[in-house]
Amino acid sequence: MIFVAILLGCIVGAILGINAPIISYTYSSFLAIAVIAALDSVFGGITSVLNGKFDLKIFISGFFCNAILSILLTYLGQKLNVDIYLAAIVVFVGRMFTNLTIIRRYYIDKWSEKVKQRNIKSQNEE
Amino acid sequence: MNKKVVSIILGIMCFLLTYGIAIQIKTVNNSNSTISTNAEENNLRSEVLKYKEKYDNRYLELEKAEKTLEKEREKITKNNAELTSLEENIKNGNKILGLSEVTGPGIIVRLQDNQSKNITGIFDLSKLIVHDLDVLSVVNELKNAGAEAISVNEQRIVPTTSITCDGNVVKINGEKVGTPFEIKAIGLPEQLAALSRQGGYLSILEDDRVETDLKKSNSITIPKYSGVIDFKYAKKK
Repeated sequence: MIFVAILLGCIVGAILGINAPIISYTYSSFLAIAVIAALDSVFGGITSVLNGKFDLKIFISGFFCNAILSILLTYLGQKLNVDIYLAAIVVFVGRMFTNLTIIRRYYIDKWSEKVKQRNIKSQNEE
Repeated sequence: MNKKVVSIILGIMCFLLTYGIAIQIKTVNNSNSTISTNAEENNLRSEVLKYKEKYDNRYLELEKAEKTLEKEREKITKNNAELTSLEENIKNGNKILGLSEVTGPGIIVRLQDNQSKNITGIFDLSKLIVHDLDVLSVVNELKNAGAEAISVNEQRIVPTTSITCDGNVVKINGEKVGTPFEIKAIGLPEQLAALSRQGGYLSILEDDRVETDLKKSNSITIPKYSGVIDFKYAKKK
């Protein structure tokens, strides 16, 4: 059910997005930073599911708050002539990499355990 | 929270995410900015794009304001005979100066560089191309034939217009205009069509193997001049 909903959301979003009118170039930097923030929360969500600490409320609030806050910070940076969005990108992408590492380790651990168990089983049979 | 609500929320979030990504990709693709490795170049490019957008927006605003101004003026001058005649004077003046869009019968002349790739015979290649002087001569002849309004590729010819050479293109009203040139003129179509007579300028161009075409039309719309006519030195006596 959940996976169907996710897939459906992705497909509908992609189709509507392709047919949507383009936004003005001025605002595309805001949208980009919001997308990065949202992606970061998604990876964070996956990690927390693997750790068994997933909380939907935290996930949703993180998804939207991060996106909106990063837009606001980018706007503030433009007003102050400081490239704050660079800091936001560093933080978000850095966290994305950390989360990806955690996800990778989780699955590699799982896999190596499986291999070990299989080896033990085959030794027992011998 | 039950499973249904969770899946709906996650679906909506995925929708938003992919929607944003798709729009962003489309915008980046459409802004036709080849991303350079030079950060400064990129910044300059985005700055230019921003200014262009700002200019377009301002221009739209200006057009809107002009329309409201006209409406207001009409409303105010409706009940006063003297003001109405003054308003008519202003409209006439704008029409003559080229500050308002006009429609009427006339001709459309098309001048295009010779497109064929295998040209035989010894030939001056420069003659195959439409030059600024060709456009200027055609405009001149149309004026001589009594054209009341002329535009070249949507650039209105006004008293301050210059037609000059600008490398590969021709500059009219400070805007770059390229081949094919579509010259529209309002006037008596039969008189204007005399442009294609024997020995007329079109026949000279045709001898030079420039592709030309002349069409009469009953209804031609010529846009208004988009710039500002600003007199600083000429004063009324």
